[in-house]
Order: sequence, then structure tokens, then C-alpha cells
Amino acid sequence: MLEIDGVSINYGPVSAVRDVSLKVEQGEIVALLGPNGAGKTSLLSAAMGLRPLAAGSIRFKGEDMRRLDTESRVRRGLTLTPEGRKVFANLTVLENLDLGAATRARGADFHADIEMCFELFPILAERRHQTGGSLSGGEQQMLAIARSLMSRPSLLMLDEPSLGLAPRIVGQIFRLIRDLRQRDLTILLVEQNAHEVLRFADRAYVLSTGECRYSGPAARLQEAGALMQAYIGELVA
Amino acid sequence: MNTIAFAERTRGGRPFLDARLAGNLRGALWLALIAAAIGLFVMAFGSPFIVRLTATAFINLIAVVGLQIFMGNSNVVNIGHAGFMALGAYFTAIFATPVMIKATMIPNAPFGLAGVEVGALYAFLISVGLTSLIGLLSGLVLVRLAGIAATILTISILVIVQGVLVTWTDLFRGAQAFFGIPKVVGLGLIVAAAAAVLVVARLFKGSRAGVQLRASATDPLAAEAMGVDVKRLRLVAWVLGSAVVGCAGALYALYAGTINARAFYFHTAFLTLAMSIVGGMRSVTGAMVGVALLTVLLELIRIVEGGITVFGIAFPEMLGLSGLMLGVIIVGVMCFRSDGFMGGHEIEEVVTALRRRLVARKREA
Amino acid sequence: MDYLIEQALNGFSIGAQYSLLALGLAIVFSVMGLVNFAHGEFIGVAGYAMFAMAAMGMTDPLLLVVFAMATVTLVALVLERIAFRPVRNAPSTTGLLTAFGVGIILQNLFLLMVSPRPKAVPELSALNQTVDVWGHNFTILQFLEVGVTTVAIAGLVWFLKGTRIGLAMRAAALDFTTVRLMGMRANRVIATAFAISGLLASIAAIFFIARRGAIDPFMGLLPVLKAFVACVLGGFGSLPGAVVGGLLLGFVEVMLIVLLPDKLAGLRDASVFLIVGAILVFRPQGILGRRVELGDKTA
Ligand SMILES: Nc1ncnc2c1ncn2[C@@H]1O[C@H](COP(=O)(O)OP(=O)(O)O)[C@@H](O)[C@H]1O
Ligand SMILES: [Mg+2]
Repeated sequence: MLEIDGVSINYGPVSAVRDVSLKVEQGEIVALLGPNGAGKTSLLSAAMGLRPLAAGSIRFKGEDMRRLDTESRVRRGLTLTPEGRKVFANLTVLENLDLGAATRARGADFHADIEMCFELFPILAERRHQTGGSLSGGEQQMLAIARSLMSRPSLLMLDEPSLGLAPRIVGQIFRLIRDLRQRDLTILLVEQNAHEVLRFADRAYVLSTGECRYSGPAARLQEAGALMQAYIGELVA
Repeated sequence: MNTIAFAERTRGGRPFLDARLAGNLRGALWLALIAAAIGLFVMAFGSPFIVRLTATAFINLIAVVGLQIFMGNSNVVNIGHAGFMALGAYFTAIFATPVMIKATMIPNAPFGLAGVEVGALYAFLISVGLTSLIGLLSGLVLVRLAGIAATILTISILVIVQGVLVTWTDLFRGAQAFFGIPKVVGLGLIVAAAAAVLVVARLFKGSRAGVQLRASATDPLAAEAMGVDVKRLRLVAWVLGSAVVGCAGALYALYAGTINARAFYFHTAFLTLAMSIVGGMRSVTGAMVGVALLTVLLELIRIVEGGITVFGIAFPEMLGLSGLMLGVIIVGVMCFRSDGFMGGHEIEEVVTALRRRLVARKREA
Repeated sequence: MDYLIEQALNGFSIGAQYSLLALGLAIVFSVMGLVNFAHGEFIGVAGYAMFAMAAMGMTDPLLLVVFAMATVTLVALVLERIAFRPVRNAPSTTGLLTAFGVGIILQNLFLLMVSPRPKAVPELSALNQTVDVWGHNFTILQFLEVGVTTVAIAGLVWFLKGTRIGLAMRAAALDFTTVRLMGMRANRVIATAFAISGLLASIAAIFFIARRGAIDPFMGLLPVLKAFVACVLGGFGSLPGAVVGGLLLGFVEVMLIVLLPDKLAGLRDASVFLIVGAILVFRPQGILGRRVELGDKTA
């Protein structure tokens, strides 16, 4: 579904990602792991067209993404829930969801989708008229995910959804991500929280200082835990 | 960040500081020499018209350098400088104009100023001093503000000064011209003053205060975190800039002999601001380049503006053409080279780069 | 008492114009961080558009008004496209200076194509007729100013709360990148902001021209400075702040007209700016604004 091939990304003279390739197949949950500053966020931003590629190509559903702007990518079913949630703090929960569906008209299925989001996250229904800024961290993350779902994506990319959340909430979020698979959704999950994620991901990639260090089944990464521990060591734990 | 590290390093390393000072002095000297050369050339060969044009250009240069001292280092757009020019001119006029003329012009001047008359030099010094004092008072308010709020305050200063000038008729003659100021300043003195001011601006830019101020303009939080007192530095630049701009006004009064409040309003503010932008407001050399470019260009356009005949075709009068070009140049510079002609560089850097290229080419040959 | 009521409406109607101008400035600023110094020239564009139409024999006031509004909105869009888009991601100083250049261009175009001297635009002068309401003397224009401005602000609120693009504009004030992530085109959001700012300015311009009955190339300068003042008073970039700041400014002006004798008329503008200076000393963030520190991203 998503094929990232030999991608490099630069910030001015600084190289953030070098020659990284990554593939996500229909129906998979793929984990993209790696320590802080590894280049994970940069890679997702490039996939959405927010950062230019210095080299390589990105294909989605077989189509070359390089010439499409962010809007067109969203329309084709690619969505990113950004790092740090980035809910619109001055907009209400409903307005946040509304904007999440920016590429679609406000038809009947739009209202159905809002109801679907509220079913998935009952707490958001309660808070629907509150501003995004007034929500707790966990609620904001739920809103961010719900907002992404409003564009009816086929591939959902989540950038560190567990960042700064209490362990109980993290478990809740991860359970939800697993449930999303049942909704015909393919997921690319960026995390530093490797242990939890490897339990339910199909495959995993490990990025470190801009280079790909592992790609393969998630289970093997778990088995080879000791080996990986030595490699990423305390950075991941 | 780089510049902050730079500013930090300059605290300790003595030898480095001297090398830097030498570089700044060299650059300043270059500018002063070029100014002097142009001045001498015009004095020797220029027609009265060219001399007048050059004198005005150099007065503008002093104002633009004053503008650069604050704007170029603190990165806050300043539109109020024309007000300080007005203050410099009017204070000089009030103190230097002979009592006899004042008796008919401003007989009811307050504080017995109608009966005061000092030599032109003292009048100049008093006026620059008073202008700096007003700069200090306004600066205390200004440095508390950031970005656009600070710019609005500079506009406020311009409007307030203008309002006071045209309303306080007993002292400033209101909307009427203030004349009879002794015309003791010629092109030579103006050029000398411009050269001095160029040196001052270069030395300030290169001083620790200047370097820290520019660093704080790019990254204020980091600068504050490193213990740089941004407000104090901005105040220093503002007062120094005001003094230099006031100096431009004072010289203008002593050169022209007649001044008018309307001449120190938005038009002057915008013209000098444009000169600063076109040359590159972060560079002192840019001030000189901007003044030179726009003076020549606008003068050429003015010929066309008045209606000319080319190859037998008579073009009509086109008032507004020079203004239009001015605007187009500003927008063009902003879109394609937002750092202006000099791109923030100074003359000695350009000279060094040229020399290096020349040497390289020689070696190739 | 009568006098007080009349002056109050006067303050409201003058303040309404400033509010409209300030709102346009604030919208563009909040969405893209541009301080549009050329905003005042929209008044000139409206004025000269009406003048040109009238010169061609079209003197129906309603037609002129519609034409002026359409022209200003179009000019706003064109300026965004050719002058402001290239500097969209540049530092705010670059944007401010670009706008300043655009203002100079427009002023001199009026000057070059029409005349440096003021021209009469008398078609809307009928609005200055006084009407008698419960023994008070008001002009039709004053009612229109207050009424139309209220409707325009209500419309704006509806737009910002009710439409997708309006939501996007509000969201973009804090985080444009994420707005783009939602699949909202940046160009569309910014162009809409400009169109709205032009539309609001054209309404203010029509009132302004109806009051003066004449136009000149530099007529936009003072109003835009006042609109800046209104924005600063209310906290730059805040939309409610722009409205409140504009109204406040209207009242202050009316007060100054009443208080200052004609001999000191030259000090009216100076006093307005003096008051601004004083307010900024005590509340650098404006009356409604949040605190902006040196080096904050806004302004
Ligand atoms: N806006 C930026 N400007 C300059 N460098 C950046 C920027 N964003 C990220 N980087 C650099 O790119 C590298 C990768 O960052 P990022 O993609 O955020 O990593 P991750 O998401 O894995 O933590 C880091 O070294 C970081 O310093
Ligand atoms: Mg990241």
C-alpha cells in the first residue's frame, strides 16, 4: 500500500534521514521504532508532503506521491496523526472533527462518521462542545485519532500516540489502535515504546540516526530482544 | 545561534576581539574614504545642481545610517525616525537663528527662547543632545514592546512630533516655514559628518553590544537565557540611532536655511526606509548603497516624470512614476533578495572575496 | 443628554469603520502572520473604482457600491497572489516591508493614472442627509455604519464558526501545518483571508468616502494607521480585540473632537497616538490581548 523507497531528507545542510526504504501492506500494523531524533517524524512528514525529499520516492496505492500536495494525499486515503497530538486548542471537539473531514462534504455519511467517532470514544461525545485545549492529554490523543479517522483514511500513520500519557491511558490507546484494524484500516505506528507495540504489530522497522537498522517481523525483534537491547539499549527501554 | 556563540566568545578572547575591531575599522575606513572621494569629486567638478543633489543625498545617508543603527541591529521596523530628524532640525533652528529674525518670526516663544542665540556649532550640539534625550525617554517605552507593537509606537512618535510642530505655533511656527537659519554648512561638512557617522555605525555594529543585539534579534529567548539584557541593548541602539538621525536634521537646517514641518513626515520616513531596505538594512555599507542607488534612480525617473521627448515622441508628464518605481523596487527586493543589495554583508567582506577570486584566477592563468 | 446620545452614536459610527479595517488586518495577520501595511490602500482602490465608474457615466449609487466592493476584493486576491505569496514564509519584517512597498505602488498608481489632487465622488453624499429621530439629529450614514457593520461582523462570526474554511482560518491562527494535514489547501485558506479582509475594508471605504465626498491618492494612510492602533489596543491578531479596539478608538476620537478646541485640532491625531503610547506602557499586550514577550512568534 505504502512504499517508501531510498528516501533521504535534509534540513538545510543537516541530513535527517538517509536512504530509508519501508513498505506497508494492506491490512498490516507496521511499527516504526527508534530513539529520539532518529528521523521518524521527518519520514512521516515527507510521506504527507510537508517536507521535500532529497532523494528516493514514495508511492501510495501504486501512485507516485512526489508530485501531489498534502491535500491530494489526504484525499487518496493517507492520513497522519501528528506527534504531540496538535488538536486545535481554540476549536471545540466537534469543530476539530469537522475540520478533520476537510476533504469531504458535510453529507449524511459525515454525520454518521461523527457518530462513529463518538461511539469509539464516548468521552469525546461528552466533551463535544468543549475546546480542544481544555481536554486532558489522553482525551486530546483520542480526539487527534478521531479527527484523522474523519478523512476516511485507508492508511493511518500515528506519530508517537503514547507520548507523555499515563500508562493506563497508553494501554487504552493501543487497544484502540488494534481495534482499528478490524475497520479495514492499515496502520503505520511510530513509537519509542517498543515493548508494547511489538506485541501487536505485524512487522517492524528500526530507525536510528537517520538510517534503517532493522526490518522484518515484529516477533523476531522481540525474540532477538537481547540483541536489539544491546543495540538500541537503554534508548528504547 | 551562531552569532550568540560568537558574542560569547568575544567576552573572553582578547586577540580575537582585536582582529574583529581591526576588521570593523578597516570596513569603516573604506566607507569613509568612498564617501570623502565622492564628496571631493562633486565639490571639484559638480554643477550647483549636482552639489545640491549630493548634499541632500548625504543628509539622507546620515538619516539612513541612524535608521540602520537601530533597525539593522534590532530587526524592528522603525518609521519614527523622520520625527527625530524634525526635532534635530527645529531645535537647531530655534537656537541658531538670529534674535532679530526670531523677533518677527516667533516673538512669543516660551522660555525666553526668542531672545536666545548661540553659534551654529553650539546649536547643533544642543539640538543633538536634546534629540538624544527625547530618544532616551521614548526609548524607555519602546524597548518594552516587541514586533509590530514597537513599530506602531515609532509611528506614534512621528505623528505626535508632527502634531506638536504644527500646533505649537509660538515655538515652531506651525505649518509655516521656519526661515532665516544661518546657512553655515556646505557639502564638505556634510560629507565629513556622514563619514564620521558611518564609522560610528560600523563600530557599534561590531561592538559587543551590537553583536549581542543582532543575536538577540534572531533568537531572543536564547539571548535572554545567556544573560543578555536585550532591553538595555535596544535602548542603547535606539538612543544612538536617534542622535544620528537628529544630526541629519540639524545639518539639513544649517544647510538649507529654511525648514518646514511637512518635509519631515511620512514621505521622508518612507523614502529613507526604502533606501535602507534596498541597500540591505542589516549592513552599514547597504545604507550607502541604498542611498546611492535610489538617489540616482529617482533622479533619472524624475526626468522622465516631467515629460520628455524621445526620438521625436513627446511623452506626457507622469507624476507618480518615481513613487511607483520606488514601490516596485521595494517589493522586488523583498521577493527576490529580502536582505537587500548587500545581503547583510559589509564592504570589507566583498573586497576580500573579490581579491580572493582575483588571486585564484591569476593562479589559474 | 441629547448631546451625549448624539456623540455616542457618532463614536459608534466612526469606531465601526475602524473596527472593519482592524478586523481585516487582524484576520490576515492571524492566518499568515503578515502585517498588511497596504490595507489602507483598499480604501483608495474603492474610491478610485467608484470614481472611474462615475466618470464613465455609471452613477447609480448601489451599482457603484457593489462595483467598489467587488474591485477591492479582487485586488486583495491579486495582491496576495503576486506580492504576498512569495514572502509567505519569510520573516515578519520582510512581509511588513513588502506590504509597505505595495502601499506605495497603489498610491502612486492612483496618482499617475488619475491625479495628485483630490477628486470629488459625490454620488454617495445623499447619505449625509440628517434625519430626525425622537428629536435627535442623525445622518442616514451613521445608522448605516452601525447597522451594516453589525451585520458584517455577525456574518463574519457565522463564517468563522459555521464553514469549514472558517474553522480552518481559526485553526490556522495557532497551527497552520496541522490545518494542511487535514487536507485543507494553504492557498485557499490564505486567499479567503485576503478576500474577507478586502471585503470588510471595502465596506469601511464606502462609509469613509460617503463622509468625505472626495478621494485622494494618500487617503488610506491615516485610516490604516488608526486601524493598526485599534489592533494594538485590542491585542494584535485578536478578532474581538480588533472590534473593541476600533470602537474604543472611535469614542476616543469623538471625545478629542469635543474636548480639543479648533486651535489645537492639529493635536487630535497626536493625542490618539499619545493615548496609544500610554496604554502600551501599561499593557504592552493590548487591552484584550495575551502577553506577547520579546521574540514571540506572533508579531
Ligand atoms: N525543523 C527542523 N530543523 C532542523 N532540524 C530538524 C528539524 N526537525 C528535525 N530535525 C532534525 O532531524 C533529525 C530527525 O528528527 P525527527 O524526524 O524529529 O526524529 P524523531 O521523530 O525520530 O525523533 C533530528 O536530528 C533533528 O535534529
Ligand atoms: Mg518524532
